[in-house]
Amino acid sequence: MNTFAYIIYLFLTYLITVHVGLIFYRNGRVYILRLLHGDEKLTDFINRILLTGYYLLNLGYAALMISFWKTVYTWTEMMTTISIKTGQIMLTLAVIHFCNMGIILFISHRHHPIVNNKN
Amino acid sequence: MKMSLNFIAYLVYLPIVILLTWYVAHTLFKNSKAFMLDIFRGNAEIALSTNKLFETGFYLLNLGYALLIMEIAREIYDGRTLMEILSTKIGGFSIYLGIMLFFNLYLFFRGRRISRERAKHVVVAKVTDKDTSGDR
Repeated sequence: MNTFAYIIYLFLTYLITVHVGLIFYRNGRVYILRLLHGDEKLTDFINRILLTGYYLLNLGYAALMISFWKTVYTWTEMMTTISIKTGQIMLTLAVIHFCNMGIILFISHRHHPIVNNKN
Repeated sequence: MKMSLNFIAYLVYLPIVILLTWYVAHTLFKNSKAFMLDIFRGNAEIALSTNKLFETGFYLLNLGYALLIMEIAREIYDGRTLMEILSTKIGGFSIYLGIMLFFNLYLFFRGRRISRERAKHVVVAKVTDKDTSGDR
């Protein structure tokens, strides 16, 4: 039963991580471009490195969490465990995400207010 | 030995919670685009990016929380208990979702206010610049 649960769990976390990562990759590019004053090459480079680091961190964390599972015997137990673990991963992702956005805001405030530099 | 209804409870709980979160996030972030455009003063690219990032964070946070509180610790054997427990859980989650919604709205209004104040400063600075250069 545990093996089956692991497969479902890994599949779910993989889907969530990759999907969220791609969204961040596409939408975060503008910010880095802004911070580097329009240097496209360096931006793409940094963005790709950040994406790779993000995948490594999250998939590694998700895989690591497997070692803390209890043995499951019934379908109900399996569903409970999977949902709790996936929920934990998603909450961790959310916390990391909001920290990142806070850091970006902080950096851009220090360089120049991100709202004002259009004029 | 009667069969426990916990599994059915989960099967009812999950779709309701996911649909609820999707509906709230969809409504909120469809309408927040106007705020974002206002905050970033018509700079569409960065406004839409920020909107999307906030939306993803909203989904992650709320769905994660919904999954985390899914577990029902006791065994359910009859329909009445099932209804009671489900309504407590879903009601609690809706209230939490409502609080998050209003918190987000507060953030948008605050951002717009700050952006407007800054715009005023910029305009004032420009006007004073012009005045001093006109005097010279």
